[in-house]
Amino acid sequence: MSGIAYELALANLSRSDGMAPPAVDKTPLLHRYHPDYQEGTRTRLTIGANRGDECPTRLATLLQSNAQITDADLAGAPVINTEVLVIGGGGAGSAAALTAAEQGRRVILATKLRLGDSNTVMAEGGIQAAVGEDDSLQRHFEDTLRAGHLCADRTLVARLAESGPDCIRWLINRGMLFDLAEGTPVGGKLLRKKPGGATCARILSYHDYTGLELMRVLREAVELDDRIALWNRCPLVELLSDESGQCVGAVLYNLDWHGFILVRASRVILATGGAGRLHLNDFPTSNHYGATADGLVLAYRMGARLRELDSFQYHPTGLAWPSHLVGGLISEAARSAGAWLINGEGNRFVDELQPRDVVAAAILKECAEGRGVERDGNLGVFLDTPGLERRHPGILGERLVSLGHLAHRCGIDPTTEPMMVRPTLHYQNGGVEIDEHGATAIPGLYCAGEITGGIHGRNRMMGNALLEIIAFGRRAGQHAGATASPKPAPKVGLYHLYDWQRQIILSGLPAEVCGPCLFPDYGNFDLRRDLVLRASAPGAVQAMVAGMTPS
Amino acid sequence: MSFNPVLLSSATQVGANLEAWFAQGGGQGLRQALAAPQAIIPLLQEAGLRGMGGAGFPTHHKWARTAAQPAHLDKYAVCNGNEDEPGTFKDRVLLEKSPHQVIEGALIAATAIGANHVLLYVNPHQPESVASLRQAVQQWQTEPLLQELAALQDRPIDLRVVTSSGLYIGGEETAVIATIDGGFPFPHRKPPYPAECGVDNKPTLINNTETLAHVPHILRHGARWYQDLGIGSAVGTKLYSLSGDVLRPGLYELPMGTSLRKLIFEYGGGMLQNRPFKAVFTGGPSNTLLTEQHLDVALDFDSVRALGSSLGTGAMIVISEGTSIVRKVAEYVDFFAAGSCGQCPPCKTGTYQLARLLRRIDTGGGLHSDLRALESLCELLPGSGRCGLIDGAVTVVRSSLMQFKEDYQQQLID
Amino acid sequence: MTDLSARVTINGHIIKTSTSRSLLEAVIDSGQPLTDGVGCMGQGVCGSCRVLLRRKDSREVTTALACETAVEDGMQVSFLDHLPMNRHHTYTTNDWDDTWNLLNRINQTFPEASRCRHCGGCDRSCPKHLDVQKGVNLAAAGDLSAAKVFDECIMCNLCTIACPEHISPNHLGLYIRRMTASVMLRPSDLLLRLRQIDLGVMPVDPDVELT
Repeated sequence: MSGIAYELALANLSRSDGMAPPAVDKTPLLHRYHPDYQEGTRTRLTIGANRGDECPTRLATLLQSNAQITDADLAGAPVINTEVLVIGGGGAGSAAALTAAEQGRRVILATKLRLGDSNTVMAEGGIQAAVGEDDSLQRHFEDTLRAGHLCADRTLVARLAESGPDCIRWLINRGMLFDLAEGTPVGGKLLRKKPGGATCARILSYHDYTGLELMRVLREAVELDDRIALWNRCPLVELLSDESGQCVGAVLYNLDWHGFILVRASRVILATGGAGRLHLNDFPTSNHYGATADGLVLAYRMGARLRELDSFQYHPTGLAWPSHLVGGLISEAARSAGAWLINGEGNRFVDELQPRDVVAAAILKECAEGRGVERDGNLGVFLDTPGLERRHPGILGERLVSLGHLAHRCGIDPTTEPMMVRPTLHYQNGGVEIDEHGATAIPGLYCAGEITGGIHGRNRMMGNALLEIIAFGRRAGQHAGATASPKPAPKVGLYHLYDWQRQIILSGLPAEVCGPCLFPDYGNFDLRRDLVLRASAPGAVQAMVAGMTPS
Repeated sequence: MSFNPVLLSSATQVGANLEAWFAQGGGQGLRQALAAPQAIIPLLQEAGLRGMGGAGFPTHHKWARTAAQPAHLDKYAVCNGNEDEPGTFKDRVLLEKSPHQVIEGALIAATAIGANHVLLYVNPHQPESVASLRQAVQQWQTEPLLQELAALQDRPIDLRVVTSSGLYIGGEETAVIATIDGGFPFPHRKPPYPAECGVDNKPTLINNTETLAHVPHILRHGARWYQDLGIGSAVGTKLYSLSGDVLRPGLYELPMGTSLRKLIFEYGGGMLQNRPFKAVFTGGPSNTLLTEQHLDVALDFDSVRALGSSLGTGAMIVISEGTSIVRKVAEYVDFFAAGSCGQCPPCKTGTYQLARLLRRIDTGGGLHSDLRALESLCELLPGSGRCGLIDGAVTVVRSSLMQFKEDYQQQLID
Repeated sequence: MTDLSARVTINGHIIKTSTSRSLLEAVIDSGQPLTDGVGCMGQGVCGSCRVLLRRKDSREVTTALACETAVEDGMQVSFLDHLPMNRHHTYTTNDWDDTWNLLNRINQTFPEASRCRHCGGCDRSCPKHLDVQKGVNLAAAGDLSAAKVFDECIMCNLCTIACPEHISPNHLGLYIRRMTASVMLRPSDLLLRLRQIDLGVMPVDPDVELT
């Protein structure tokens, strides 16, 4: 694909008449250009609980992959017991760990990067909770269900809407601030914004870095909670099972010491997030570095059922230039404020306030048909910030402060130079099936956060992701904490793998493809190569364990 | 061992007793100085006295530079007794056991440069030194020689003890000035130099305690006498703080230029339990290491510098085989990290990262990439601080990497 | 990527890359495994990719975030380990139950804060250019407007590493912020809605018919 050279496109932009965009027929546009609908980009699963369902090929390969480890790898690995093991260091994992610990449980929170290195911390927009006088829990419920094309799990959505206000209370109690629209902190009213597809204003926020505010509060709460052992840099490599197929712990890999650790746990909560860094269909992503669907792959391998696993959200306005920021997100606020999308010929081509999937498909169409803008090998369209500024003088400086920061990092002045955008892989709509407690069909295994499916249906509303991680992180932590046993399972192993490997072989799938991948391809990480670095010094295993158990 | 010490001779060890000091010949140097103030600096130049605080810079340079400032200005002569480097314990002994020797040296300096403020800057973490010095200063206040100095300058002489913050960084010249000015001991970049703009923005001379202790003796016995004390081309005597894995650690005053071998194996009684000698951290930690091939080096400023190291304060911390160099270096870096004043992020943050890498390697979790990162950090950091603290930390690490790379490599996983 | 005109040294590896890349991407370009010092990858909010940085021909060494910093020829870069978990200043939200005792609590939990030596190292370390030292001084004096100073803090811990008095400025800032919210934020609309839920007058009918 090629586009119109940047300089020429700029000249075209300067002559742009700003004529209203043509009306588009959504269905064919989506089917033709939205990545979810592309022929040849999906694969039908042949093994596992979702046999017969389609999902993006890259994800299918991992879902049907072989284990990274064998019994031999576990020999000599230290075994540590806990009551609740939480995997994932974002908002959902933190909420789950804190809630389980509040019930007096011994908790280990293990995370691949560091606590807080997550999509949560990057969330800008806000969190939904129906607190407005004109709003109700029922409206939140219905808006969410409608936005998800009516295919979400009604029970889950009801729990989501119901727990909104209490989640805000929970967050405030732990020290999270929210913006006020009027009045003073005591007795004032919360600032509410309206998400696309909602019937009233429901998004609560803290400036335009709500996720940062949320995550730094929860991270501190977790770090200061001495009932929670925090293991940074310990990715999940495999789940542990007993002979009955129950989940009884996990195998983690300590990246500092290059060795495996077995954790025997009565309850395991996966809060490992989404799949953006798999770059499905070769898309750039707005996700953090660790979003490689590790938990999803392992839950599936153990027998969990997935849903809507072919549904992903591509955010229309990811950065398309400069190269090192490609995929980074430009908040929807710019379009809400009236910024236009302009193609390389200087024309608007879609109503910018259409749903995200429609706008994303429209941009991809422009690029595919040669009307995109090309700069340093990157293809996109213009987000016409100078035009916005001309029509609303001062708006960039006053209302779109973060956009200004971002433009600055791109090395441009947004009042005089447009930004270049194209869709970016943003969110995994579906995921592991859970009940209202976050429990999966596998005894002992819970999921919370982006890894789960059923809450957003086939399309997530803005602000429901942050609510989901708190609402369901807490629910999973509550239920797991309440039902956990202090006695570790007597027999733990890789029992579920034997049948899985039989299925791989019998289905003619490649047994040498291993998952989860832990890091994106360009992370240059190879578990087998890294294992060679296993500390052989006497006492290294003890040193590793000593560093991981509270002193 | 027939050498007769000067600074540590029993004649000088009279404590805070001015009468006893005078009875042993004390005061003569100052009297001579007062009689011919112009002759002092040439005499020191001829004697070849050098700064004993670490730099080994010829003493008369600083004195001449301060003396050259306009005479009507207030001037300061400061004795720097902050001494806080690991392995250095000489100044505190001088200040406690022979404070008058030091004070007289400071008064001679004041005579030479025309200073009306004579400040004895001392580390509060050494209470015996502070007490002894205070008492000694009290004794001087009514001493006619001090009145003579006042008469010479036609203004009163302000002689007093000032306690430092006790922080390592407080020994750095510009930090000494900041402390006396009533602030936190933040170093600043030079220029301006203290000789032009020091305490209270006035011309200021700052000398190490041991340097000043030598001065009365030189005045009294002459330059030739002083020169003859040293071995070879080196002059005078030196206080060596010997510590580490030797049988008899302690403070030794020996001819400048005594060999390292002699210091360790004759005076120090040899290695503890006869373990093989491995290395010496010289002069406090901020210098390069000396190894077995350097055992015959003459311990004077020029000879040690010729090996790419530095005599520094004369501290010799001896390491035997079996002691982990990496761990020792990590300890030193921790010392620097704790001593950083905080002004320059690369100093505090750089020592943090150096320490992290060293600990990782020392505890058996290090990779070649960590070693490479350590080496790279040693390239990146030097020169980035206002004072030399970060450079000092890097020097130790780099030197250990040059001379004991195998020790590092043996502990790596890959 | 065809342009390889820039050479940077990162953790001792000499890497040929392009000036259109970030320092973090330069690590990727070098082919080394990247498992540490990386999180949000460009948004500058996770605080993982902290580096010490010296530009060509400069004496100055500064701190920066690698994901936000574009490659320049001749840069020397050293990644910084993340700080081990900091349980130096411990507290729970229960500490704030007696709201008349809040100022004492600040000083009890962060006793070092009142010993700030005003070296400015925290300010110079902060990749977001916050007035960290001012925030510390306000907090130590019991002025809760300190919360505002730390509004955009990403908790990268560079000021904690830089502080010679072990004040942990960013954690102090977060403490004040958390206290402010936990003790003082009681919006009336939220209170009302919570009461309605408690009273059972705010039900959700999950079986409602929707089209």
